[in-house]
Amino acid sequence: MTHRTRTHSRPARGTLRVVALGAAAVMALTACAQDPVDNTPEAEQPAEGEEGEATIKFSWWGSDTRHELTQEVLDNFMEEHPDITVVPDFTDWGGYWDKLATTVAGGDAPDVITQEERYLRDYATRGVLADLSEFGDTLDLSNIDESILASGQMEGGQYGVPTGINAYAIVADPQVFADAGVEMPDDSTWTWDDYVEIAAEISANTPDGVYGAQDYGFNEPGFAIFARQRGEALYNEDGSLGFSPETLAEWWEISLRLQETGGTPSAAETVEIDAGGPEQSLVGLNQGAMSFFWTNQLGAITNAAGRDLVLLRHPGESEHERTGMYFKPAMFYSISATSEYPEAAATLVDYLLNDPAAAELLLSDRGLPANTEVRAEVQDQFAEVDQYSAEFLTDLEDEIVDGLPVPPVGAGEVAEITRRINAEVLFGRLSPMDAAEQFIAEVETATQG
Amino acid sequence: MAALGELASLRRSKGVKATPAPVERGDNKAALFFMAPWFIGLFLITAGPLIASLYLSFTDYSLLQPPNWIGFENYERMLGDTRLHNSLRVTFTYVFVSVPLQLAAALGLALLLDRGLRGLAIYRSVYYLPSLLGGSVAIAILWRQIFGTDGLINQVLGFFGIQGQGWVSHPDYALGTLVILNVWTFGSPMIIFLAGLRQIPDMYYEAASIDGAGKLRQFVSITVPLLTPIIFFNLVLQVIGAFQSFTQAFVVSGGTGGPVDSTMFYTLYLYKEGFENFRMGYASGMAWLLLAIVAAMTAVNFLLSKYWVFYND
Repeated sequence: MTHRTRTHSRPARGTLRVVALGAAAVMALTACAQDPVDNTPEAEQPAEGEEGEATIKFSWWGSDTRHELTQEVLDNFMEEHPDITVVPDFTDWGGYWDKLATTVAGGDAPDVITQEERYLRDYATRGVLADLSEFGDTLDLSNIDESILASGQMEGGQYGVPTGINAYAIVADPQVFADAGVEMPDDSTWTWDDYVEIAAEISANTPDGVYGAQDYGFNEPGFAIFARQRGEALYNEDGSLGFSPETLAEWWEISLRLQETGGTPSAAETVEIDAGGPEQSLVGLNQGAMSFFWTNQLGAITNAAGRDLVLLRHPGESEHERTGMYFKPAMFYSISATSEYPEAAATLVDYLLNDPAAAELLLSDRGLPANTEVRAEVQDQFAEVDQYSAEFLTDLEDEIVDGLPVPPVGAGEVAEITRRINAEVLFGRLSPMDAAEQFIAEVETATQG
Repeated sequence: MAALGELASLRRSKGVKATPAPVERGDNKAALFFMAPWFIGLFLITAGPLIASLYLSFTDYSLLQPPNWIGFENYERMLGDTRLHNSLRVTFTYVFVSVPLQLAAALGLALLLDRGLRGLAIYRSVYYLPSLLGGSVAIAILWRQIFGTDGLINQVLGFFGIQGQGWVSHPDYALGTLVILNVWTFGSPMIIFLAGLRQIPDMYYEAASIDGAGKLRQFVSITVPLLTPIIFFNLVLQVIGAFQSFTQAFVVSGGTGGPVDSTMFYTLYLYKEGFENFRMGYASGMAWLLLAIVAAMTAVNFLLSKYWVFYND
């Protein structure tokens, strides 16, 4: 039963409604004004000093190891150049590009920006970056290998200087191979079938939770190599796609075979491992024998694993028409076109590239140093790991046919498309062929506008 | 529409009730002074960006370059954007599942706490705590751990001999973990329900029990009808809040909205288009579509309220 007696303590009908309406309006209005999450603490901006003093911001991404090393280098730099203060601005890879885009849009771009090939063209063609060839003596580029230097050139300007070179390879844990009683493969002759077999065998011979391999399909450079082995390419010179859907489907079919034979973890585990980055990869956690990574990540992964790891060539390098592996500029240093202190920024880039003291600390963390003179000078001082990856890259020199063209505008989006469609394949929601067709359609849309 | 009617009737009733007292000039200034922070906030922080985003939604603004006017191109693009459609599906599923569950949990706990427990203030605070924490990055990270392959949930399941899996990394379950996270933050509707329950005079229950009504009967016939305005209020607020959820999905999925876009909330997709894919113009358009959707959902809520909300006056 309901009573319709009026009580004085209850708010009147109209009031309640208006309160609800008002709250609704306010919440709806602020829908567009929600702040994105910024999970990295913004470094304190020191107060501007006297005239002649410059405060510049230097942004980079990477692992904890890299942050510590770089901070040390910056401390040395500031000691040598007391009139320049460098404010570090670092995040992990995932957060880096969101933050960079936001700060650039907000007119607060870092003075020295670390770039990557997938984004370099995006930023350069949109007028964000300064032409580095205009700094003359302040920024000496004469000792950088010509062919590598070219990877930072477009539209008649030098918009980025490669920090160093690296290659996409397999990081393997000999200990896991030994535990499984599986022989290390001869990486110059092994085929993709060998790879699948070896991975399955290791998984079978090790306790649960240890796998032969980590899924490779999340990163499109792996496919670029796969396509090159068949005489195709991920991107052509003009930025169009240079592979057939069949080739991409085959790449994912091998992925699925690995999963079915137990060589790689389940799809859900793969998604989780993938989110962990290099240090929490299967090899980094001593839970797997093989993961695909960049050679300059070997140091960080070795640190995480706590034991010696080796680098292996991709399977199939001698299986088809040609080899697929290539040298990639690990990353680029670039300078903001709107920098208040371009000279100071150029001085820092010059120091990072050409000063042996900087190279002695950074070693191969940003790739094998691009400055050939510096490389020769510090190579002896490389830690065992860096020495090892330097030798691995030197061995590759004769096998590598050519480099990759600069990826088209929008290539940054392709990383995400690859990751998502790869998950669709691993979870069995798309067949490899359908996935390949969807990938092509989406990448064409992304790189055309 | 209904809301406008309400406003009009409110104005009418005010006019009848009281004639405004004569106000001195000085008082007016003081009022303006005290309202100034709110006005400044409204115009600078809310209205400014709001209008800017309306303009940007008709441009090809890329974040890095100045915008160019492109008319309705962004809105046309939305029609064919399958990822946008997917994100709408995900968001609507989230809203329609998590809000009723959350309100039910809030009401249930409010009823328990309304029994005059000893140390009520402590319980109230404890149950309110998740609401303060739930939207935070820390909790979202914790969530990823709890529902991970080696997380707490699977350890508990393992104790009972059930082989669990990575809940946040499986497309069939990832959204479910976010729903649970949202249900868990029932604190603020609970507090409002508690206040509402306090407003129901005891005499109704006394009269009902004299008439021989049991507890369930009393709940259905007294508590619920008298609480409907509060339920309605909570429903409107939580629906709007749920449409705007961002942090949980962003952190739990590592910023990807994955696996396979299964946690790609509308706001997350908007953010990614704007800040990652350099389509800020398109993202601005999406923000306006969200505004329209939220406004429409709220209007529907108000229209439907006629049929079930009981105002005791």
